[in-house]
Amino acid sequence: METNNTLSQTKIAELETAQSFYKMVYNQFKENKAALFGLFTIIFFVIIAVGAPVIEWALGVDANTQNVFNRYKPPFSQVQASQDVRDQMVQTFYLKSPELAKDIETELLAKNLVTPIRPEDAMYDWVNLSPEKAIEAIKQINTPAKDDLIKSVKNFSSYHIFGTDELGRDVLMRLVYGTQVSMGVGVLVAIVSAFIGLLVGALAGYYGGVIDTILMRTTDALLSLPLLPVLVVIAAIDLQKVPFLSAITQYGNESIIKLVFILCLFSWMVVARLVRGSILSLREREFILAAKTLGATDATIILRHMFPNVIAPLLVSVTLGVGESILFEAALSFLGLGIQPPTPSWGNMLFNALELIYKAPFLAIIPGVLILLVVVSFNFLGDGLQDAIDPKSVRR
Amino acid sequence: MTTYILRRIIQTLVLLVVLSYLCFNLMTLMPGDPVELMISSNPKITAEDVARLREFYGLDQPTYVRYQRWVSTILEGDLGFSRTYRIPVSEMLGPSLKYTFILSMSSLFLSLLIAIPLGIYCALRPNSKFDYIVNLLSFAGISAPSFWLGIVLIIIFSVKLGWLPAGGYQTTGMVYENIFSEILDKAKYLILPVLSLSIQSIGRFSRFARSAMLEVMRNDYIRTARAKGLTERVVIWRHGFRNALIPLITIVTLSLSSVFSGALITETFFAYPGAGRLIYTSIIGNDFNVAMVAFIISIAMVLVMSLIADLLYGVADPRISYE
Repeated sequence: METNNTLSQTKIAELETAQSFYKMVYNQFKENKAALFGLFTIIFFVIIAVGAPVIEWALGVDANTQNVFNRYKPPFSQVQASQDVRDQMVQTFYLKSPELAKDIETELLAKNLVTPIRPEDAMYDWVNLSPEKAIEAIKQINTPAKDDLIKSVKNFSSYHIFGTDELGRDVLMRLVYGTQVSMGVGVLVAIVSAFIGLLVGALAGYYGGVIDTILMRTTDALLSLPLLPVLVVIAAIDLQKVPFLSAITQYGNESIIKLVFILCLFSWMVVARLVRGSILSLREREFILAAKTLGATDATIILRHMFPNVIAPLLVSVTLGVGESILFEAALSFLGLGIQPPTPSWGNMLFNALELIYKAPFLAIIPGVLILLVVVSFNFLGDGLQDAIDPKSVRR
Repeated sequence: MTTYILRRIIQTLVLLVVLSYLCFNLMTLMPGDPVELMISSNPKITAEDVARLREFYGLDQPTYVRYQRWVSTILEGDLGFSRTYRIPVSEMLGPSLKYTFILSMSSLFLSLLIAIPLGIYCALRPNSKFDYIVNLLSFAGISAPSFWLGIVLIIIFSVKLGWLPAGGYQTTGMVYENIFSEILDKAKYLILPVLSLSIQSIGRFSRFARSAMLEVMRNDYIRTARAKGLTERVVIWRHGFRNALIPLITIVTLSLSSVFSGALITETFFAYPGAGRLIYTSIIGNDFNVAMVAFIISIAMVLVMSLIADLLYGVADPRISYE
């Protein structure tokens, strides 16, 4: 029987050319559904984190406005501003344009739209009407400030897709800004600790001897510690008492800087070991010998000839490191030692939700689901990259 | 072998001394020293009194002098007093280590009991639908924050169903008639913390068991065993599993090392009086004596356990040499 195995000319050419390493990795990677899912989820959350101001503008609610009369509202609820917010609005209006306010006051009374006990309270009574009635009333009055007032009245009611939290703040917007904080911390920690690990591992692996012993003993010692208790002890430090770090506290966001710093301090060890291992084996290879013979300096050999060979495994460990850092950030914030309120992060939102777990279990579930989703995605991505890079899995 | 053990013990001791000194320094950087707390509780205190108090407690000395004093009292067997509870630290530490041990061990056993069969089953049917689902769930288990799992478990079992208590370690004011009722009562409080701890380690262990078993089943001796005509059961358990055990023992012994350091978050969250929670509450409550001792002892336990784990590893796999 004749089998039809003739291939087109281009197909043959394609098969005969050697694939580059990254092309091979890419081809392997796109077969992996879980890893692709991870990648797309991460892209989605990055877009949310970067586009947080746009989302805020589109929804018209912000993350920090408190509304203590509307705490723990369920998802999809319409919320009215409390009386003090409304009175505040009228007060500022009086201060800004007293004549206009007087006119409106007299007209409100003349048309009998409100019946206050004291005539001066006319506008205050008007503002506390239900939104439809208030708008109806102001429409009957002839005043240049009409549009502004209608707009302010409309602003009093806000719509909360995910409900409100323990201070009446919008949960969705806090989650969005929490995405910014949590993912930012995770990515930053992973990248910085990769650099530290790269440096330590390269020095230890390339020079060997005493340097290697000292650096690797330190690495082993740090690896053998139970991480969470150590992090708790260090996170509890008062920065004001550390002489050269007290300057950080001036910037307001010191809890984020502090957390990133602490997490970096304890997450470079795995990378260092990995880099040291690959550099040790690279050191014996011929092309390094060739570079040395040609008179390349140590820095050139490490940076130009060795680092390109460790980037692939490094990428995997950075990806997995992001997930881990997000988990540790959440854990420390959950214990009240990480990101400090009012800055929202998924961890401290969980911590706040704990107070009334009986009344609003919903609040405690969403941030956790997001953490789970993002960390799973980073793990899938890292695992997929690992499989794509490791040539053993190509054969399988 | 003896030199190896000796070297490891010396390393462990050096690490402990360095760490305790560092930790001692860190404690001085935490908000509120003992005298500051006394000042805040007594507004009429004078500056001279403050100076005298500082001298009395030795707080005017530099840190290394205070550290020396502290170490010498510890070596005499005096662990000091808890400032919050006014009882000796040793009385607090003993029970908390015991409770942590019970919690960690039950979680370890439960997760091994579930994870190893699961992992092996998946390894024998790689890339099947079951394998895929287990892999997905394992990933989810590894990636879920344990405290959030705790919250979900509490919402389900305590809030909605009302079957299990949300926290604590025994029913308050309960008088136990016999040992069985005591165990039964305490076990009820253990279920949720153990579950929330186990879900994570089940994910880790099952993935590990699967890859270890897969690796082993690809070996030539497995093919030889099959070619000899041995039954599949013998091939899997006698030839496969026995060899897959070695990497499994590594990871189990690695987790053994944290048996005493406790699960800080889970314990804190479930108000379970273990060592992790002791460290956390004493640090938050500025109870530095307790914090120092609890921290150092649980770290010492971790280091000793990992030394034991290393030695056990050698017993499990005679091919490993200690030089």
